[in-house]
Amino acid sequence: MSPFNIERIDGVPIAHIHEDIDAANATATQQQLADALGPDASSLIVDLSETRYLDSAGIDMLLRLSDRLDHRRAKLILVIPDTSQLKRLATIVGLSDAIAIHPSLPEARQEAAKRPPGQAAAHPASGRTTSA
Amino acid sequence: METQQLETQADKGHHAGNGNSALSSSVSESRRSHLLSITDSALGYTSLEDMLSELLERIRSALEVDTAAVLLLDEDRGVLVARAARGLEEEVRQGVQIPLARGFAGRVAAHGRPIIIEDLDHADVVNPILRQRGIRSMLGVPIHVQGHVIGVMHIGTLVKRAFEEDDVMLLQLAADRAALAIDNARLSEQRSVTAIMQRSLLPDALPQIPGLRFSAKYLPAGSGIKIGGDWYDVFQLHNGRVAFVIGDVVGRGVLAASVMAEIRASLRAYMMQGHKLTEVVSMLNDLLVSVGSNRGATLAILELDPEAEELEAVIAGHLPPLLIKPDGHAQLLQQKHGLPVGVRVGHDYHAFRYPFPSGSGLLLYTDGLIERRDEPIDQGFDRLLAAAETAASRSDSSLADRVYRTLLDETLLEDDMALLAIETMPLGDTLEMTLPARPNVLGALRNTLGRWLRAFGANEDELFDITLSASEAATNTIEHAYGAREATFTVRCEHDGRQATITVRDSGRWRTTRPQSGGRGLEIMRSLADDVKIDSDQHGTVVIITKQLSHQA
Repeated sequence: MSPFNIERIDGVPIAHIHEDIDAANATATQQQLADALGPDASSLIVDLSETRYLDSAGIDMLLRLSDRLDHRRAKLILVIPDTSQLKRLATIVGLSDAIAIHPSLPEARQEAAKRPPGQAAAHPASGRTTSA
Repeated sequence: METQQLETQADKGHHAGNGNSALSSSVSESRRSHLLSITDSALGYTSLEDMLSELLERIRSALEVDTAAVLLLDEDRGVLVARAARGLEEEVRQGVQIPLARGFAGRVAAHGRPIIIEDLDHADVVNPILRQRGIRSMLGVPIHVQGHVIGVMHIGTLVKRAFEEDDVMLLQLAADRAALAIDNARLSEQRSVTAIMQRSLLPDALPQIPGLRFSAKYLPAGSGIKIGGDWYDVFQLHNGRVAFVIGDVVGRGVLAASVMAEIRASLRAYMMQGHKLTEVVSMLNDLLVSVGSNRGATLAILELDPEAEELEAVIAGHLPPLLIKPDGHAQLLQQKHGLPVGVRVGHDYHAFRYPFPSGSGLLLYTDGLIERRDEPIDQGFDRLLAAAETAASRSDSSLADRVYRTLLDETLLEDDMALLAIETMPLGDTLEMTLPARPNVLGALRNTLGRWLRAFGANEDELFDITLSASEAATNTIEHAYGAREATFTVRCEHDGRQATITVRDSGRWRTTRPQSGGRGLEIMRSLADDVKIDSDQHGTVVIITKQLSHQA
C-alpha cells in the first residue's frame, strides 16, 4: 500500500506523494521512502506538490525520515509549492529549520545535483565488518 | 497391441439402452428387479455420496462382484474423479483422477461404451489402486445423460471372471437408471455450494457514509443450472473515496464463483494499493489471462470522490451503468467499453469522469435485470431508463428496491441478477458522525468534512484549516483509544453561516491519562483554527474547534 510513485532522474529518486499522509499510513510510508533511496543515491526528493493533506503524523514521519537519511549521509529534499496549503503548515511547525524545502521540482533537483552519487555511505548493514 | 486384444468391446451386436427386449429375456428377472429397486430408492438420498454408496453396495451383491465404483466427469478439467466406491474405498479417499481416454475408466468414458478387461495383469490401467487391491477382471460402462457421458461405473472381481452380456446389460441398466439421480444430485449439490459461495462473496454490510446511501438487490437464478457468476462490491478507499464494482463471470456454477472470488479479492487489493482505475483493470486482466482460467468476466468499476462530487468509471464489456441526474432524468453512461477481462493480455482500458452532485443516483446491474427472451436489448434499456425515472420520483424505500419493484411490475425475471444503487444527498447544516477509533477512518472523515464545508461556500484555506484541525483532534482521540477494541468517537459539525464549530468527543470508555505525544497536533490545531477548547474528565475528552468563515453562506 504505497501512497507514492517513484521515479529516478539522473540517479536521484523522486517520490511523488499522491495520497494523504496521516496516522493510518505514516509509519509504513517512512519505511517505503527510506527503501526508495537505494544503495548509492545521496539525496531523496519527496515531492508534495500533489499531496492534499499531511498531518502531524506526516510531519513526524518526514522529520524521522530526515534523521534516518542523515545516518546514511543522504539528504532529504522536499518540494512544496508556495501556493500549497502544506506551505502554511510547514511554516507553522518550522519544518524548514530541519529539512530543505524547495518550491519546485527543478530547484529540488538542482540541490540534489550538488551532491553527486556515491557521497552517501553504503547501507549501514553492508558497511559493517564481520566480527567474531 | 496386447491390451487391446485382451479387452472385449462389449457392445457387439447391441447397444446398451436399445436392447430392452433382448434384456428382458436374457437377464434373470430377480436380478433385474433387484437392480430396479436400487435406483428407485436411490432417488430419495440427499447427498450424492450416500446415494452412490448405497447403489454400489446393491450392485455388488446383485452381480456378485468384489468392487464397484463410480467416477464422475469433471468437464472443466477433462478428468474422471472417483466419487463413490465399495470394496475400493481408497480410490475415493485418495481422490483418484483419471484423464479422459486414458486408463480403463478413461477409455470407457472416451468411447462411450462398455469395456471388459478379463485379466488386469495384461491391461493398460492408470490407477495403481486397482492392481494393489488385486483385481483380476473388470467391467466398466459409461453413465449417460441426454447423450453425454457424465461418468463411468465399473465393477471388478478378485478372481478371474469372464463377464457376460447379461452382466454388461445389467450394469448398463443400473448406470442408466442412476444417471438421472446422479445428475440431479450433482446439480443440487452445485447449486447449494455455489449459492453459499456467492453469498459469501457479497459484502456483509454496505458502508455507512454520511450523505451517501447504498442499496442492493441480488437474486440468484430462479431455476435449473443457471447459477450465476454475478456479483457486486462496495468498499471505502483511503482519502474517503468509495469504489463500486459490478460484474458477471462467464459461465455458471462453482468454478464461475471461484473466479469471481479471485476477481473480487484482486480488485480490492489493487484499489487499496492506490492504483488508478485503468491500472487496476489492466492488472486484473493480465492476471486472469496469465492464470489461464479460461473464464472471462464483464465488469464495471467506479470510484466516487464524495467531496469532489465526481465519478470515474472503467467498463470492461459490461452493460453501461445508469446515471440519474438531480432533476430525475436518467441516462446510460455511453462511454468507450474495453473488452471483458481475462480475454486479451495487454488490452488498454479507458476511464471516464462524470459529475455526481447531491441528488444524483447511479445504478449498476447485470443483464438478468433487463434482458428478456425474444426481445431486443434496446427494449430492456428503455424499460430500465423508464423504471429509474419512476423510481427517482419516489422515496418510499431504497433506490434498488424501487427500481426492482417498478421493473418487476412489467415483466418477470428470467435470469439471476444483481443490482447496486448509489444515491447522494445534501449533508445538511448539522452533521454528526460516529466513527470507529481507528486511523483508517481519518481519510473518510476529511472527505466528508470537505464536502460539508464546500456546500456552504468555505474557501480553500478555511476548508484546509478546519478539516486538518478536526483530523488532528480525531487522531489524538484514536491514539488514546489504543487497546479499546470497540471504541468509537463522534464528530459533530455545525455552522451558522459565519462560523463553523467542530466538536470531537471521546466515548470515554478508555483510559483518561494521556501522554503528551500529541504536542505537534495541538500546535497545528491552535494555529489553524481560531479557537480550540479541550475539556477532559473521567468521562473522556471533548475538543471544540471554531473558525470564522469569510464568505457568508
